[in-house]
Amino acid sequence: MTGHAPSRLRRILVGGASYLSALAIGIGSALWVLKKAAWLNPSVKVGAWSSNLQAGSVDADMYTRATVAVNAVLALGRSETMYFVATQDDAGRALRSQCNYRISGVPPKARWWSITAYADDMFLFDAPNGHYSLNGDIATFNSEGVFSFTTGPQEQSGSYWLPTPGKRGMLLTLRLYNPDPALQAAPQSLVPPKIQAVGDCV
Amino acid sequence: MTSWSNTRRLWLYRIATLLTTAILAHFLTVWAVPRLIMQVLMKGPMAQQLNMHNQAAFPPPVNAQSRTVVMPSPDLLYSVCVFDLADGPVRVRAAPQLPGYWSIALYSANSDNFYVRNDKQAKGAPIDLWLVPANGAKGQMPIPEGAQVVVSPSGTGFLLMRVLASDYQADKAQLEAARRTLRCEPAKSN
Repeated sequence: MTGHAPSRLRRILVGGASYLSALAIGIGSALWVLKKAAWLNPSVKVGAWSSNLQAGSVDADMYTRATVAVNAVLALGRSETMYFVATQDDAGRALRSQCNYRISGVPPKARWWSITAYADDMFLFDAPNGHYSLNGDIATFNSEGVFSFTTGPQEQSGSYWLPTPGKRGMLLTLRLYNPDPALQAAPQSLVPPKIQAVGDCV
Repeated sequence: MTSWSNTRRLWLYRIATLLTTAILAHFLTVWAVPRLIMQVLMKGPMAQQLNMHNQAAFPPPVNAQSRTVVMPSPDLLYSVCVFDLADGPVRVRAAPQLPGYWSIALYSANSDNFYVRNDKQAKGAPIDLWLVPANGAKGQMPIPEGAQVVVSPSGTGFLLMRVLASDYQADKAQLEAARRTLRCEPAKSN
């Protein structure tokens, strides 16, 4: 009798721990997929930029709806807004806030556009100059119609600068409001802004 | 032999139930996440602070300290409302006269964007929406002439008005006046 009690207790403990582990694996795998799969499995990838085309649409599947809710809740559908996200530069290296980057390109075909720098927690950097993004209204263009700006810890002379203080991962988001119908139909036709590292980065 | 079969069956049963538990937990989490996030948006600290239940609220422009919604756009001025159709339809009105982009978007409790109207679609006319639940209570009150009936897939949801603010400080007076035309309130029969 006394020999059965510890055995039963052990079975209960092992059983309980097993079910808790199963729950943790189920919940953990879901959260991992939602955090990591959003931009790892893009519907369209153009240059360093990728876009989930089902964001904000009511026919989004369960995973798309959840990944959008986690990464960009309250997104709009493609006919209203297109979102492109870059987590790497053109050389395929992960974007880091302690590095300087030059972003350049031609204006995307949309009524209005902007490129914003976010820290890896998806919130804005604490920019002392109040520059969080570059948009089509304030961008300046060279003689070939190309805009450019820089991000990084230090201001690059002669350029519009988005400060990215700290040492952490970062991402860039390109928003296109009321994109041209041709771009909506063929998002891969976007001429992607270039993202090039400037100088050494440690 | 029987004892071995019983043991094997027991282990198969255990493994199957553990696998089923993990799979169910996975799918339930994926299903629940957007709903939980919306609940936090609609009932969490920001909602409490802004007092936006069936009334429009006008938070300040986003900056590095804005940490309620991920990836906020620093170029847009947001106005918000949590609509609740439990006691009847909700009327949404706005007449922002602005040269730039603005839109009003409605989101259901599972985060789906089920309605959006922008300035180009409005063509200068005011927005006048009569929000009703999917089970159809729109016949209980006469709908004002010119109002558009919008059926919400859920009894509660979130309204987000976006107003383009490329240079907020320079255009502050015009932008604030325009967005404060937003009304989001229980519909009245008159």
